[in-house]
Amino acid sequence: MYRSRRMGYSTLLFLHVTSAFTMVTAAGLFLAIALAQRSERHSATALRLAPAAAVLWPIGSLLAIVFGVWLALHDSQYSLGDGWIIAAIVLWAIGGAIGGRLGAGYRRVTSAGAGADPSALALNLALIVTLLVILIDMIYKPGAS
Amino acid sequence: MTVLLIRPDSWNLPLLLHVGGAMALVASVMVAAVALLQGWRTSDPAAASLKRFGARTLLYAAIPSYFVMRIAAEWILSKEPKPVENLTWVGDGRLAADAGFVLLVIATIVANLAVRRDPESGLGKLAKVGASLSVVLIALYVFAVWAMTTKPS
Repeated sequence: MYRSRRMGYSTLLFLHVTSAFTMVTAAGLFLAIALAQRSERHSATALRLAPAAAVLWPIGSLLAIVFGVWLALHDSQYSLGDGWIIAAIVLWAIGGAIGGRLGAGYRRVTSAGAGADPSALALNLALIVTLLVILIDMIYKPGAS
Repeated sequence: MTVLLIRPDSWNLPLLLHVGGAMALVASVMVAAVALLQGWRTSDPAAASLKRFGARTLLYAAIPSYFVMRIAAEWILSKEPKPVENLTWVGDGRLAADAGFVLLVIATIVANLAVRRDPESGLGKLAKVGASLSVVLIALYVFAVWAMTTKPS
């Protein structure tokens, strides 16, 4: 029983962490697009990276929250009411909103040839800070007993 | 029975740097792979820009991230109360990190050499090797995440 419980926890943790890596990878692509759009020389590069980011962001963020909540429900040491888990869910929602707006903006540029969003770099920085705070929250688990 | 999930507080900073470095490493290799693969698929003038972008991402983002991840990994291991050198998951992690570093250095060198030799054209053979190695690296990193999270013994 111990072994199967341990296996279940490990598998969920692997899926949760892999999803989080996918989210961060999409954020890296968002940032690369924003940086490439700053120069005329690389603007074509930006358009080529957008489809991958548009696929990875929703998949990574959705699976990260699904497996994260599953992990919290699976293990008796965790509860969805723990402060650090509530904080992570709130931060995930903020990050999701920022990433969704960035993805939609890049899609517009790719499909309609619209100009680059001038707030894209600021949104990217906000997304990176949000993801960094989530990571700190996940590792330090403030308030966990 | 529950598993002890709370680690000593002194482990948090090296773990943060290790995981953060690993995330930055995977993200930058993925950005480079997407740029190089997209450059491979096209013959228009964007291919040269994508090649340059992918090569520079490997050099200026992936390599520094690797060092943050790897140094922090040794920092955490030094805090283990008992020797862990013989544990399977530690060996797997070291194998993925060290073999991955060799592949990362080769990918970075060939991609940047391709940019230097022919900055205005498409990928060419060297940059295609860099693109292929980037994809292999991503598969290797998924294995490393599996080994670090499931800790097979």
